[in-house]
Amino acid sequence: MALPPVFYHFFRPPLPYLPAWNLQDTLHRLQLQLRKSAEHKDLLLLLQHRPVYTAGRRQTDPELDSERIRLTALGADFVASSRGGQLTYHGPGQIVGYPLLDLSRYSPIMGTRDYVCRMQKTLELHLKEAHGLTLSPSEHTGVFLDPRTKIASIGVQVRHRLTSHGFAMNVTHEPRAWFDQIVACGLDDVKAGSIESATGKTVTVEDEIPGLVQRFGRLYEREMLPLDLSQANSTTEAILALEQEALEMAPSAKAPLK
Amino acid sequence: MQSILRTAALRVARPSRAFVARPSAVPLYRSTQIRTLVTKRYTTDHEAVVFDDATGVGIVSITDYAQSSLGDVVFVELPSLGTEVGQGDQIGAVESVKAASDIYAPVSGSVEEINETLSTEPGLLNKSPEEKGWLCKIKLSDPAELEELLTEEAYKAHCEA
Repeated sequence: MALPPVFYHFFRPPLPYLPAWNLQDTLHRLQLQLRKSAEHKDLLLLLQHRPVYTAGRRQTDPELDSERIRLTALGADFVASSRGGQLTYHGPGQIVGYPLLDLSRYSPIMGTRDYVCRMQKTLELHLKEAHGLTLSPSEHTGVFLDPRTKIASIGVQVRHRLTSHGFAMNVTHEPRAWFDQIVACGLDDVKAGSIESATGKTVTVEDEIPGLVQRFGRLYEREMLPLDLSQANSTTEAILALEQEALEMAPSAKAPLK
Repeated sequence: MQSILRTAALRVARPSRAFVARPSAVPLYRSTQIRTLVTKRYTTDHEAVVFDDATGVGIVSITDYAQSSLGDVVFVELPSLGTEVGQGDQIGAVESVKAASDIYAPVSGSVEEINETLSTEPGLLNKSPEEKGWLCKIKLSDPAELEELLTEEAYKAHCEA
């Protein structure tokens, strides 16, 4: 493979959303700067979030005000983010992936649609190969078990051919009660599925990581290597700082407060 | 958060022009028989600008190459009228397939007009990216910046590279 590897890191503690978004911005700026001397690294951050509802870029403040009040009362955070897509939930039991890739490394440059397509295929392949799940094709971006059950979502941002935000896949049943509080992704009669509900097996987020990483590498045609945190540089320092911050936080609500 | 389309309180009236922007600098005759120079240039980020030296205004759009690599556009975020932009500043975003792709000002200046039709017809960016789907018009503060941008030939080569 001619292209350099993608370095991945799985965060152990669930991360608060805003600091994780700030981390993405920090890493994006580093990539932009280091790209001038071709020293930048492509990354894949894998994590869970503490309970949070996030809105996409095109949803304006007045629409969201009443939702913000209602949803934060349940014990979740609420953030209006810079990614595409609409309202969704992130929390424990769901794998969130943030690929921070330089699309211009590919020749020809990987377009946004192709980037999103490969992301969707990565998730579909993982669900099929690792769990034997049958998926339902949909005109909507994301992964569906059937037309009324969505198991994975995508919402990304591209700036100067550098990507941020990414995907979310429900592993355990825990996110379902939180999803039931909203109309996610603007899809009225769609419910959130999970690997646990669909297979009846006990599954953990940690167990899914190695297979997901490997399939990501296949779809994006890159070697996947773990990020070496013992190397001290701006990237590893920012990542370690966030992990430390998350470790020091009190446990989050296990279910929506009623 | 980038501001979204707002109805302009004041809009500059412009004579309507039916000409098709030419890729190279070719003199065109307007109804008043004055020679004008219309220049089209491109950026490596796949924006295009059509500059009319008689008015000092550049019409900014994304290129056909950009729209095909984005997918179906569902939402367009544009700058506010009167915004002062520097070359390379983020001036909005295009959303497609759950991806928000930022767009950048190819030239410095102030935003004189935005394409309000895009709020109800974002698909124009796919159907007619360099004409009906124009994004905004910028009054250039430094026309010399155009020289730094790619000509059509250079842009084509960049896309094929």
